[in-house]
Amino acid sequence: MSIGSTASLVEDKAAAGLRPGRLPGWMRKTARLLLGLAVTALLWEGSVQLFGIRPAYLPRLSAILAAMAATPRAYLDGFLRTLAETLIGFAAGGAFGVLIGIAFFRLRALREMIFPIFVVSQTIPVIAFGALVVLWFGNTLLAKAVIAFYLTFFPVTVNTLLGLETVDPKLVALMKSFGASNRQLLLRLQLPTALPHIFVALRLASSLSLVGAIVGEWFGDTTGIGVLLLQAMYTENVVALWGALLAAALLGTGFYAVVAAAERRLVFWSAEQ
Amino acid sequence: MREMAVIIQRDLPSVQAALQTSVTPIAAGSPEAAAKPLLELRAVTKSFGPVTALADFEASVAPGEFVTVVGPSGCGKSTLFNIVAGLEEPDAGGILRFEGNSCHAADLLGRVSFMPQQDLLLPWRNVVDNAILALEVEGMPRAEARAKALKMLPEFGLAGFEKQYPHQLSGGMRQRVALMRTFLFERDLMLLDEPFGALDALTRAMMQRWLLDVWQKYRRTILFITHDVDEAIFLGDRVLVMTARPGSVKLEQVVDLPRPRRPEIVTAPEFVRLKRTLLDAIEEESMKSFQSAVAEEKAK
Repeated sequence: MSIGSTASLVEDKAAAGLRPGRLPGWMRKTARLLLGLAVTALLWEGSVQLFGIRPAYLPRLSAILAAMAATPRAYLDGFLRTLAETLIGFAAGGAFGVLIGIAFFRLRALREMIFPIFVVSQTIPVIAFGALVVLWFGNTLLAKAVIAFYLTFFPVTVNTLLGLETVDPKLVALMKSFGASNRQLLLRLQLPTALPHIFVALRLASSLSLVGAIVGEWFGDTTGIGVLLLQAMYTENVVALWGALLAAALLGTGFYAVVAAAERRLVFWSAEQ
Repeated sequence: MREMAVIIQRDLPSVQAALQTSVTPIAAGSPEAAAKPLLELRAVTKSFGPVTALADFEASVAPGEFVTVVGPSGCGKSTLFNIVAGLEEPDAGGILRFEGNSCHAADLLGRVSFMPQQDLLLPWRNVVDNAILALEVEGMPRAEARAKALKMLPEFGLAGFEKQYPHQLSGGMRQRVALMRTFLFERDLMLLDEPFGALDALTRAMMQRWLLDVWQKYRRTILFITHDVDEAIFLGDRVLVMTARPGSVKLEQVVDLPRPRRPEIVTAPEFVRLKRTLLDAIEEESMKSFQSAVAEEKAK
């Protein structure tokens, strides 16, 4: 006997999203986003001219873009340099956070020994810590990556631990009844369960690692978005300051979007439930 | 049909010796009677601190047999299952035998296919990958396990759904995926803990008939927990009624209804007679557990 007839109960979600005569969802979303950006740019440009805002407070967007286009090399180099520092710090912080989270989950004693130290480390202001790192590593790319790492590993550790602890004990019992080893439990059950929590932390870490990289550059360097910010500040060049801000915004938003896209792909189940 | 059923009333532990001799002739109705039991529990006790969940629990399951267990809520059914699944060790003194050898509960890990109440599907795995979870844990290559599962899909009413994820399935289908996972983990003994408890009545009736078909085809031994007396009689070769906590076997009832069983059988006079006997026994135990709960309340 078969009971396949209940099969028809399953909702066909794919069909609902593809009605004829309309653009696919992602295209509509992108179009709306671009429209929003265009409106904001127009408002910016228009209100500066309309209300006669002095360039010292808010320059016109077109002036900022023109200044950036005049010296594209500086912005491009700075962007790439800061991107590299951010990525290295983020990757190291993410990997370390997940590994330490697993270690804390497995070894209670280790957690009780080390976790309080982690908490204390996070209460040290990043500026104070940054000075120390520069003393240790000099004005290298590594120094900036270390500061980015310092800001990112903690939220990832906490959320990995949190995620691992949400595993349903009944599922653990089921896996054990199949004869699963600890390694199989970790890879097939615990880590996938923790993944949504880990991604929440990674999204946060993507912004924090950029902060770490920029702050690191303030301790001394010759390229980077942080350097551009600092130079503009000293020379009171408001247009250059806004140019550096835009570059930082572009980097931060882009990175965040990439992490969020990876999250949507990898933890598809928690979004759809 | 000659004597419908033989009922053994177990009120005193001292009757146990007499019981063991009387169990054999009862089982003579089934072809497996001659074989030695696949699973045997003797004087199994389990307590959690001051609470005794199981006390002197006695049961044996013959190869190929379908044994159902009913009892009032909180009677230690789940504790019994956790012991047989190898997840919980009984207190010292009891005897646990599997395939004739005495063993620890932990030795049963990986040797019994266990299906808990909830379907417990992994949301990140599609139907096929959920079904092969146990095979993967055993170390079978994924491609081989998937091929095996794909062949089984139609029988479980899941043909064409192999790529779907659990959140896209109905409750009945999810339950069938969980059952398929249990079936694919080929062990001599299958433990099913109220697998249809969360389903609506119609789906449940269909699933019961379907389970009997699959069981008859694969000839596995099944120990099946339920709180539904109809289900226990409809499915089982034998029904064990448990006492209120601490749980032990109050009544062992052979179900002598012919197989294959038609759905209409639930209104047959033999069925109703069995049901009355079982309900009386359960009622008595439910009252006991209710009264002791009230007494506990008063004591506070």
